[in-house]
Amino acid sequence: MNWPWVLDHLGYFGDLLLEHLSMAVPPVLYGLLIALPLGVACARWPRLYGVVLAATSALYALPSLALFIFMLDFTGLTITTVIAPLTVYTLSVLVRNVVDGLRGVPESVRQSAVAMGFGAVRRLLQIELPIALPVVIAGLRVATVSNISLVSVGALIGFGGLGKLFTDGLQRAFLTPILVGIVLTVVLALVADTLLVLTQRLLTPWSRR
Amino acid sequence: MIRFEQVTKRFPDGTVAVSNLDLDIDTGRITVLVGASGCGKTTTLRMINRMIEPTGGRILIDGKDVQDSDPPTLRRQIGYVIQQAGLFPHRTVARNIATVPLLLGWSRKKAKARALELLELVGLPAEHANRYPHQLSGGQQQRVGVARALAADPPVLLMDEPFSAVDPVVRAALQDELLALQTHLRKTIVFVTHDIDEAIRLGDKVGVFRPGGGLVQYDTPERLLAAPKDAYVDDFLGTDRGLRRLSTVSAAALTPSDGPAVTEHTPVDRARQLATQHDSEWLLVCDPHTHPLGWAKAADLPGTGDVSGAAVTPVGRVFRLDADSMRGALDSAIMSPAGLAVAVDADGRLVGTVPLATIHASTP
Repeated sequence: MNWPWVLDHLGYFGDLLLEHLSMAVPPVLYGLLIALPLGVACARWPRLYGVVLAATSALYALPSLALFIFMLDFTGLTITTVIAPLTVYTLSVLVRNVVDGLRGVPESVRQSAVAMGFGAVRRLLQIELPIALPVVIAGLRVATVSNISLVSVGALIGFGGLGKLFTDGLQRAFLTPILVGIVLTVVLALVADTLLVLTQRLLTPWSRR
Repeated sequence: MIRFEQVTKRFPDGTVAVSNLDLDIDTGRITVLVGASGCGKTTTLRMINRMIEPTGGRILIDGKDVQDSDPPTLRRQIGYVIQQAGLFPHRTVARNIATVPLLLGWSRKKAKARALELLELVGLPAEHANRYPHQLSGGQQQRVGVARALAADPPVLLMDEPFSAVDPVVRAALQDELLALQTHLRKTIVFVTHDIDEAIRLGDKVGVFRPGGGLVQYDTPERLLAAPKDAYVDDFLGTDRGLRRLSTVSAAALTPSDGPAVTEHTPVDRARQLATQHDSEWLLVCDPHTHPLGWAKAADLPGTGDVSGAAVTPVGRVFRLDADSMRGALDSAIMSPAGLAVAVDADGRLVGTVPLATIHASTP
């Protein structure tokens, strides 16, 4: 471990960290924005869910590196090349959780909402989605942590945030950046996960048992 | 009044849940629809607030066709209590109760005040207002369910097997509370159950449904027990129909006679004489104010002195002519070693006794 090198490059690590976040966080938000309406539609029409499930499972199975390289032809050397595939991964995880969450709403709760005089939209927004929230957030945690780790792969095509430390260390046979990269990635994942857990506590005080 | 006119529900798969139903449900009364599962009773209930749409006929509430109101508007005017309460788990008890008032556009403050008022009405402490449903017992959840249904003071209340998921003791308590509420609320309640005891206990009128056969008999509990329309209804009422029926007949029809009553100060000779006179092995011992104390066996009286020296078996149960049913009189007779029911007045003073055989003979 070359501590002087580490101390010399603290500012650089900070830049990489920000770059890493700029590629890991937007896919989670985009994925959520697409997964919510898609999941709602899938919960309503099971046939659609079958198609969506097959499609997202296939996409999820594609290696990230292959997707990055494939995207290069369309989006070139821009940040989109990393963000688009990660959005697809996030979406694949979240659609299932949105559907599972909505299906987990007890039938008696749904029926009583109908009987109280909730219209379909109000019922979705005020009753069903809030009750599905813990399951959706569980999906967000998986997607976020997985994105934080996958961003590093982008370093192979020149965008990788903390992943650059791995390629750099490998090329120079220099272990220190690799160790720093691992530690920072893990810490970042833990912090992000903790923030999501706290968000859930805040949003769903009723689910603590 | 809620009126069903030739109402039919045929589901898309071809099953007919309700067929040409004609039914008038009285305003301000409890009407119970009872039957085995699959007999169309829940379908009938849910057609009232359009959770299920009929495929034929029409349903009128106070002369107005339910089809003329859009479903959410209609439903906000009709209370609904579902099995297992169906409370919203992400909302506090107060917020659950305030659901319909808020949908109707009440201010938050007014809705909250109303919620607290109802919490008290259904017998829950105010500190439960800010709890979440999962922190309540099943019976408490069901009370909140009733409070929620009553929040906007709807004239009609639909109850779909509301007490079937709680244990028998809690169920009996909830039934009593519903009856107590109803004495001053006077809602038009339509109550669905598969439990005939519950139906007899709660219903001003009871409609018995048969799977595939629709409504078989629609009557008061008294009439239902006295004259079941056919073998199905008779069978459904069960083998203890006679016993159930006694609960619906007033004991006022009985005429108590003096009976072998003595006080503690009656001399034993006089007591033995009374026992012979009434052809009874037992004497009913009363205190000086003629409150019945218990039964003493004539053969076991002391040789001399008065009755106060005798061993007395306590009176198990007494009944009141004006307040009890024949069932109460029967219980009193069965619990007495002499086979005599003990009638008392409102102050608990002896009115007279009635032999078991007379009770049997007096039941129409």
